[in-house]
Parts: sequence; structure tokens; C-alpha cells
Amino acid sequence: MTSEMIRLMLIDGLLAAIAAIGFAVISNPPRKAIFVSAILAALGHSLRLFLIKSGLDISLSTFVAATFIGLLSMLFARIIRCPAEVFSFPSLLPMIPGMFAYRTILSLIRFMQSTDGIKAQGFMLDFFHNGLTTLFILLALVVGVSLPILLFPKLSFSVTRKY
Amino acid sequence: MTDQVNLEPTIEETAVLLIDIASALMSSGAHTMRIIQNVSRMAETFGYDLDVSVFQMSIMMTIISKKDPGKLLTQIRKIKPLRLNFSIVSDLSALSWDTYDKQLPFEEVASNFQLIISQKRMNSWWVLFLVAAANASFCGLFKGDFTAMTCVFFATIAGFFVRQAMIKKHINHLVVFTTSAFVASLLSGSGYVLHLGHTPEIALASSVLFLIPGVPLINSILDILEGHILTGMARLVNATSLIVCIAIGLFTSMLLLGLEKL
Repeated sequence: MTSEMIRLMLIDGLLAAIAAIGFAVISNPPRKAIFVSAILAALGHSLRLFLIKSGLDISLSTFVAATFIGLLSMLFARIIRCPAEVFSFPSLLPMIPGMFAYRTILSLIRFMQSTDGIKAQGFMLDFFHNGLTTLFILLALVVGVSLPILLFPKLSFSVTRKY
Repeated sequence: MTDQVNLEPTIEETAVLLIDIASALMSSGAHTMRIIQNVSRMAETFGYDLDVSVFQMSIMMTIISKKDPGKLLTQIRKIKPLRLNFSIVSDLSALSWDTYDKQLPFEEVASNFQLIISQKRMNSWWVLFLVAAANASFCGLFKGDFTAMTCVFFATIAGFFVRQAMIKKHINHLVVFTTSAFVASLLSGSGYVLHLGHTPEIALASSVLFLIPGVPLINSILDILEGHILTGMARLVNATSLIVCIAIGLFTSMLLLGLEKL
């Protein structure tokens, strides 16, 4: 791991943390959960960046990062006594594939307006490539983060128990 | 002996409290499994069995006395429109365990519930600022330059302000999402027209992302994975229609600014 890589990961983590805080406050979580979601988002997002840079596919690295966030959130849920989804959901939001979704819509508009058959085929190709990537990243996010909840249901429903 | 009888909550009181709790959880954005677990746990403490089915618009619940199975009550309650509030989810979940472990009396649970749902939300100006900062750094994550991030910051402030104002007036949520996506993308798209910075397309794309209904999307998949397929599908269709509305807003401002040819 070079120093350039570490610098990139730090910037990435910082931006992801700010993004997670902002998206968390929309859902009005308890104060302590906001900080946890910032930490989780930073760790998860820079892990994903590292995996992508080391040559892993984007949806697979998203899955790994989401599972990592899910597992850590079970741990933090026990520490701050708060259901895991309260802070694990906002910390996933910085990984939402916004650019891919945007390009999906853009290629759809271009396909609709194009009169040239060959160009239109290219736009359709773009549409399917970006659309499928969006879909698979979303699925990877959700399945990854809910794996721990599904695997340890007892634990995940009893974190707010005090005795 | 008479004191004992007075302390025991009647089946009607219990049913009303439990269905209030369930519908508060549902409209604050809890997933179905958590709602069922929480209310069943409380019902058990008060000496009742509970069968619940949760739908998008209403909750149905049958409550049966454990001592006397002939004594039962079924009721349906409308659910208020979704307004995410994870403090309520977290506190009600804790309350349900407290009820179960400490055997809290009925009156105390009812008054605690009232306290929890009357909590104040975070100041909306703070939320506005934090959301704008979040969306700007989101733009940075997509490799947007500083100009693009500034553009997104102001576009998000406008878009989110429109959203907050329209939600206060109880306008249809599909219209709210379309309009605020339109406002945000129109403002950040002006960066494209005026040739600000080197990455205007990233500014345009990320300006509407604060609207993405992330929590309903995740909840829907979680519900489907846990077997509550109908509720999950309802949430999924709801979230998808919101995303389509965001796309329509973005699409309209792109056509207005003539950006589809770039």
C-alpha cells in the first residue's frame, strides 16, 4: 500500500463520513448513532475503494464492504444499545450508485431521441450496462448489510435489552 | 383483591396502546419483523397473545387473553404517511424490552410511549445545512471538483428547502419529489450551461441524490428476505415510484437546459 493510496483512502473516508452524517439526520436518529454511522461509513467506503483499486469488481467490493459494515454495526449496536439498522442504513447511503443511475437515465433519453439505428444500439448497450450495475450494487448493499441481521436474529433484536 | 383487578389493563386499553405503538413504528420506518417482535413482546407482558399483519396503509391486530381464550379483540388502524424517525424506533424498541424485563405497569408504558412520540425533531435548518454538506461531499466521492461541489451545495439547499416546505403543506409526496429534483438539477445544471469547473456532469448527477429513498429501499429488501413479501413489495413499489419521480424531475430540467445533446 503506497502513501498515495493511503491519502486517497483518507479523503474518501472523510467525504463518506460527512455524507453519512447528512443522510443520517434526515431520519432523525439518536445523537450517538449519528457519530457511529459516520465512523462506519468512513471505514466501509475506504475499504471499498481499496478493494476496487486492487482490482475487484465494483459490485463484489460493495458486497464485501456492506457485510463489513453490517458486522461492525452489530458490535456497535451492543455498545450504544440501539438497533443496528438505525446507524447501518445511513452509513450505506454514500455507496448508492448515483453516477450509474444517472448514466442509465441519460442513455435512455438519448436512445429515445436518436434517429440513427447504429448509434441507438450503442445507447441501448450503455443503458443495460449502467442499469445492471446500479441494480447489482443496490442488491449487494442490502444483502450485505442484512446478512448479519438474518444470521443472528436473536442478537439483533435484543441489543436494546438492558438486563 | 379489588386493587389487583384495577391494576390489570382491560383488553380494549391494551389493544389500543399496542396498535398505536405498531403504527408509530411503521410510520417511523421500522422493518416489519421488528414491529411484530416489539408489540408481541409487550402483549406477552400484559398477559395477551397477539397476531399482527402489517400492510403499507394499515395494521391489523387480534389480541387474545391468555387466561380466557374466549376474550379476544380485532382491530385495524390506518398508518400515517412515512416520516422517518429512528429515535422513535430505537426508543420504542428499548421500551418494549424494559416492559418485558421489568414487568412495567400498563400506565407507565402508556405514559412513556406518549413521551417518546412527542420528542422534538432536530432543528430543520441544521438538517438543511447538513444534508447540503452531505450531498456536496457525495459529489466529491464521485470525483467532482471543488466548483462542482459548491454548485451541488447550493442546489441541494434549494431542493431540500422546497421539499421541506412542500411536506409541511401536505402535498402529494410524488409531486414533492419531482419538484425538488427539478429545482436541484435546474440549479446545478446551470453550472453546465455557464461552463463552471471541469466536472459539471457530476454536479448535475449528484445534485438529486439526497432524495434517493435509501431507507425504504433497504427496508423493502429486508422485509422480502425475512418472508414479509407483501409488505416488502409495497415498500419496493413505493420507493421505485419515488426514484422514477426523481428521474422525471432531472429529465425535465435536462431537456429545458438542452443538456441531452452534450
